[in-house]
Amino acid sequence: MPGIAENYSLGQSVEIGKIDKELKKLWREGEGAMTRASLINLAVYSEKPGSLEKNTQLIARIAENHACRALVIGANRNSKENRVEAWVNAHCHVSRAGNKQICSEQLSFSLEGPCVKLLPSIVFSHLDSDLPLYLWWQDDFPEPMDPQLWEWVDRLIFDSQTWRDFGAQMRLVETAQQEAKQRIVLCDLNWTRLDKVRYAIAQFFDHPASHHHFGKIENLNIDYAPGFKSTALFLIGWLGAQLNWKVNQPARNGSCRLVDTNNRKIDIELRQREGDPIGEIAINSSGIQFRVAPAQCGDLLEISRSGENETALPQSMPAQSNDPVDLMTQELLRGGPHSVYLHAVNCVRELL
Amino acid sequence: MNRAADQSQVNPLREGLSTRAVPQPCSVVIFGATGDLTHRKLLPALYNLAADGELPPAVTVIGFARREKSDADFRREMEEAVRKFSRQTVRDEIWKNFSQSIFYHQSDFSDEAGFKSLAERLDKIDKERGTRGNRLFYFAVGPDQFEPILKHLKAVDLNKACEGSWARVITEKPFGSDQTYRIDHFLGKETAQNILVLRFANAIFEPLWNTRYIDHVQITAAETLGVEGRAGYYEGAGALRDMVQNHLLQLLCLVAMEAPSDLSADSIRDEKVKVVHCLRRMTTDEVATNVVRGQYAEGAINGQPVPGYRNEKNVNPKSMTDTFVALRLNIENRRWWDVPIYMRVGKRLPKSGTEISVHFKKAPLVLFNKETNESNVLVIRIQPDEGISLRMQAKMPGTSFRIEPVKMDFHYGTSFGKASPEAYERLLLDAMSGDATLFARRDEVEEAWAFIDIIENAWSAKKNAPDLFLYPAGSWGPEAADELLARDGRSWRRL
Repeated sequence: MPGIAENYSLGQSVEIGKIDKELKKLWREGEGAMTRASLINLAVYSEKPGSLEKNTQLIARIAENHACRALVIGANRNSKENRVEAWVNAHCHVSRAGNKQICSEQLSFSLEGPCVKLLPSIVFSHLDSDLPLYLWWQDDFPEPMDPQLWEWVDRLIFDSQTWRDFGAQMRLVETAQQEAKQRIVLCDLNWTRLDKVRYAIAQFFDHPASHHHFGKIENLNIDYAPGFKSTALFLIGWLGAQLNWKVNQPARNGSCRLVDTNNRKIDIELRQREGDPIGEIAINSSGIQFRVAPAQCGDLLEISRSGENETALPQSMPAQSNDPVDLMTQELLRGGPHSVYLHAVNCVRELL
Repeated sequence: MNRAADQSQVNPLREGLSTRAVPQPCSVVIFGATGDLTHRKLLPALYNLAADGELPPAVTVIGFARREKSDADFRREMEEAVRKFSRQTVRDEIWKNFSQSIFYHQSDFSDEAGFKSLAERLDKIDKERGTRGNRLFYFAVGPDQFEPILKHLKAVDLNKACEGSWARVITEKPFGSDQTYRIDHFLGKETAQNILVLRFANAIFEPLWNTRYIDHVQITAAETLGVEGRAGYYEGAGALRDMVQNHLLQLLCLVAMEAPSDLSADSIRDEKVKVVHCLRRMTTDEVATNVVRGQYAEGAINGQPVPGYRNEKNVNPKSMTDTFVALRLNIENRRWWDVPIYMRVGKRLPKSGTEISVHFKKAPLVLFNKETNESNVLVIRIQPDEGISLRMQAKMPGTSFRIEPVKMDFHYGTSFGKASPEAYERLLLDAMSGDATLFARRDEVEEAWAFIDIIENAWSAKKNAPDLFLYPAGSWGPEAADELLARDGRSWRRL
């Protein structure tokens, strides 16, 4: 049966008009041995050459944790030839509960030339009805954006770390969100990258007895890997937005300054170092240092609070992997409107 | 517990990161630290919470038991247990840090000096590890030990907490102040929690959830296991106390309760307690007709011969302990009037599984009366293979009007790849963060006991006590249990 063995292939080539028929055939042949599962429609769009194959591999792994109907789209706007191709496939894995194969279906589309503009009508007519549509846009957003697209999308997933022009791209995304009357939830994988680090920092201040430190933070050091300055800026943007700090000096020459509501200065040093996207973070507040750093083993964070007359209690917490599948898996686990992200974005804009 | 006080100062950095209350630094004192529950459930659950980054680093575990051993011995023993029973693989890096938070305190439960030295030790831990005077006492011991432990905790003032701190107690079943968290691990299961979501977040079910549309409800908790080395405890408890008084009645409450005014612990528990309060109390005669008790005799499970209960180790050869109970209950309120609730629980049954099935009334027999006699059944599977299914009628393809039941089936494991945390993880975390929603409140427990006591009294009566039926291991219980439903023209659902 086509595509049931996990071989990361695009599967069986089909005519666009016969996709539904071929899908039915696919499931009929696997009846008894396979269970189709789907919680979302997950569309992945890329214009990078070879993206269809690469994204097929990603979807195969993502679908192990998030049953979905995947629509993988590879587009080439610059092609002179107007061509549409489609494939159907299924990604199966053995469920935790038993020995039955749980399968997510994948529809793949290659769009070339002017037909790329017909993305909504060609691709989104194949959504699994009643399930939300998550669109993972892997490139910079083109201008102007197709307003028809937003009528379909519930959550828009992107990675601002790859953007060439953060300000311009964010304006486009925000405009799209406004056009959709705020219905679309913006999901930035660059923000997801910070999930575990934010969690680690937040837990220092869970007990009310630690809250006085919010008003005493003097300075921060943040290490980031080459190419991940925007991630570090989001971290600062988050702290600024949540603690009511205002940007006093934008991020230039490796440092920036924010001020709190009492006009007290908080100096932040940004250091580019090889390693994880976000490396060591040190927050200094009246003789206490709150430190979060990647552990040597790679998938844990070392967390400590140190100061005079304090017993250091080392702690390990899970770190966020920078692998796109792990980032997507983490993002798909989250719900809600990501309002904290939107607050952080406002602060990041001022830092730029 | 004062949740308002707990949440009076919110950490702004938590916004959007966690929708649940955050656990506070505390000392977790486990009484019965060398027992099975600690090894199989509690320490693995605490380790998993630590590995997932859910525990504050200051959380400290103090095992309290009679046997002599050092902190290092206890840590080694716990490491072995966690490596064996944890749902996730133990990471050396995480264990190294976590193990430093584990200590052992040797004392007899009846020795007040041991509790005094415990109090001193906890004070020292507060200073050294920042546990801030918060104490969670977990009674992983038999109910006969509850009283001496509580008495000694009180004697050394460990029942009180300093201002701004708390002292909580978690007791294991069978449940016997309001800082007592009566753990019911069934309530920590995803599907049990999902009952409220199913009922109150889906507009299609609630309008049908009443006597007009529901014919009856069945709750089954079956296990293939026998007494498995717990004879000492089980001889004094039996299935009624071990399962019905707590787990099954808690599940019934979730199925039968009215919508709470909000999702706070007290609002939910206010509604649950009303259900138990409305359970019609049986007379002694009615116990004989509405409750069936059984005990497994020799038989076979999965093709393997197994001994009868009375031949199990440490069981009285003339034991009258119930290993199976089937009941017919009625909830006397407007919603459930004339809707019988059938419950059954048993050991050494052919299959393990816990489920609630809601049997709807049959469609009017007008159009298809010759074709179908089946009704719609909504099944909520608690364990294993947690999920929900709905049986409905469908026309078979063909020219004739042939109707067959079909099943719409939702499996957690199929739809959500992520493994659910163990029930004990959720419940321990809730106790540490002061969220009592999934724990039974004192009045719920008292109401449940008031109901159960009537049955127990009837069983222990010297004259005309209802029979204890023997059933072969591997069967679905005594025939009297089937007759209980057959009298009403119904039958048990096949698991």
